[in-house]
Amino acid sequence: MKIIEVKNLTKMYRKFKAVDGISFDVEEGEMFAFLGENGAGKSTTINMLTTILEKTEGEAYICGHALGKEDDEIRKVNGIVFQNSVLDKMLSVKDNLLTRGSYYGLSRKEVEKSLEPFSERFEMKDIWNRRYDKLSGGQRRRVDIMRALINNPKILFLDEPTTGLDPKSRKLVWDYIDFLRKEHGMTIFLTTHYMEETRDADRVVILDKGRIVSSGTPAELKSRYAHSKLIWYTPRSEKAEELAKQISETCVYDVDHYNISTDKNVTEFVFEHRDQITDYEYIKGSMDDVFLNLTGKELAS
Amino acid sequence: MKDFMGFTRRNLLIYFKDKLAILFSLLTSIIVFVLYLLFLKGTFVEAMKGTMRGLENIVNSGDIDMFVNGILLSGILGSALITVPYTCLQTIVKDREAGVDSDICATPLKRWKIILSYFASSSICSFIMTSLILTVGLVVLSFMGDIHLGIASLLSAYGLMLLGSVSSTALFMLILLFFKSTATSTAFFGILSAAAGFVIGAYIPLSQFSDGVRSFCNIFPASHITSLIRNILLSGIAEKIDSSICGLDNGAFIEAIKDTFSFNASAFGSNFSGIQSVIYVSIFALVCIAGMVIAYNRTYKRR
Repeated sequence: MKIIEVKNLTKMYRKFKAVDGISFDVEEGEMFAFLGENGAGKSTTINMLTTILEKTEGEAYICGHALGKEDDEIRKVNGIVFQNSVLDKMLSVKDNLLTRGSYYGLSRKEVEKSLEPFSERFEMKDIWNRRYDKLSGGQRRRVDIMRALINNPKILFLDEPTTGLDPKSRKLVWDYIDFLRKEHGMTIFLTTHYMEETRDADRVVILDKGRIVSSGTPAELKSRYAHSKLIWYTPRSEKAEELAKQISETCVYDVDHYNISTDKNVTEFVFEHRDQITDYEYIKGSMDDVFLNLTGKELAS
Repeated sequence: MKDFMGFTRRNLLIYFKDKLAILFSLLTSIIVFVLYLLFLKGTFVEAMKGTMRGLENIVNSGDIDMFVNGILLSGILGSALITVPYTCLQTIVKDREAGVDSDICATPLKRWKIILSYFASSSICSFIMTSLILTVGLVVLSFMGDIHLGIASLLSAYGLMLLGSVSSTALFMLILLFFKSTATSTAFFGILSAAAGFVIGAYIPLSQFSDGVRSFCNIFPASHITSLIRNILLSGIAEKIDSSICGLDNGAFIEAIKDTFSFNASAFGSNFSGIQSVIYVSIFALVCIAGMVIAYNRTYKRR
């Protein structure tokens, strides 16, 4: 079942098109990723789908509710984790979450009840009464996610949720996202400019200058736009070069190895020539290559 | 209603949890108090004695002290009516700058409730703080002597704090629309807190200024409220002084000090009566509230 349907969505700021007629669908329960560099239109799209920004043109339906017409219904089913923290630094975690809950018309008990399924996993007990500005970066992000879950949303929008976090905190955030997806079947709509974060997505849409340049599963995108590589460590020689070119003509020698770009399955070939090809590594095409080939730009990894 | 109450509670918590913000919001009032202890009291007492030549032996010096203390309290209240709502309303600019408004707009909380809640929370903050100052001030004054204040006057004084809080908040809601960053709104606060004491006549009575300056100062509701609260706080003690003179001067002394300490707001050479000041402040507040609702609705729709 389609939980988000977007048709020709456009956002203009005077004459500048921040989002240029994009169309896509998101299935219920899937993890959907928007990939693009800064200014590609990722956050603008999320802000339109969460009713923060008004669309200029196009249509969108969130859980069947029309954007621009049934915004209040949409707000009830959305949860959003912003790029930057938007909770009040001087208030405790408890005060922050209880006041945010009240914006949805929830009482203290209702907030506690709706957060109950997540509290233990998110280790809220330890930080419940602590002031938000006294928390570490990872703890703050944890609270930001809890805030987004306060209204038991059907869709969780995550706008570059790990930007600025250290590797340990990034991993923790991803553990939480996996938990929400796998244990609670939540639909995750993610924007990121980190390639590795799209690896587990069910579908990826690549945005460039407000337009969708490609979409598909990570595997589909990689097979379409990225090439695998065989790195063969051996001294340079005519005989070795001849063998390397049997795999692919796209082959260069670099310091101490041949870099052979290929889409073929090389397992059999390597096995046949195991007496010569003794030190090697096989690298599958990555999302970095996909993005580079599609936009001509490199992203953060 | 839960959403509106919740957002208002959040705005109140933000002000009351930030001890430094509370201190800065009362800075002008503190400065007025310190200057009073240093030299303002002496200046005011001298000004009064200058007016009562020939009556020095009749008028009790303790009454003069109480009168001047009341002037001080009205000055502290008047300046707080400017600085407290402004500090509280800076949350709007901070929210805009930090993207908190996006978080709020992504919830079912209606836009008009957001605007009204900022307004309500600042008015409540200002009313709480000024009422607290008024209460503490009255308690201190009552320990120093008889303040001659009836229940009706007392209630009117708190009523004026409410009117002053609402009208100042409405004015600053409009002014804060122009600030996109906390840096600029804080810079403006510096100017505002320096000017507040002069605008309401806490440092120098407004009667000492030219008619043009007086008219300008009396545009602001806080100046009217200061004059009104001065009337309420000091009418009892003024009557006592007048009765101790036993009509020897046909009330000239009291009229003279009322003129000197601007018991009535004035603009373009005419004095406002008490009721005229209340009407002016009420209309001023209503116009600002209407402007605020229109302007903020447009701001949110422009997104």
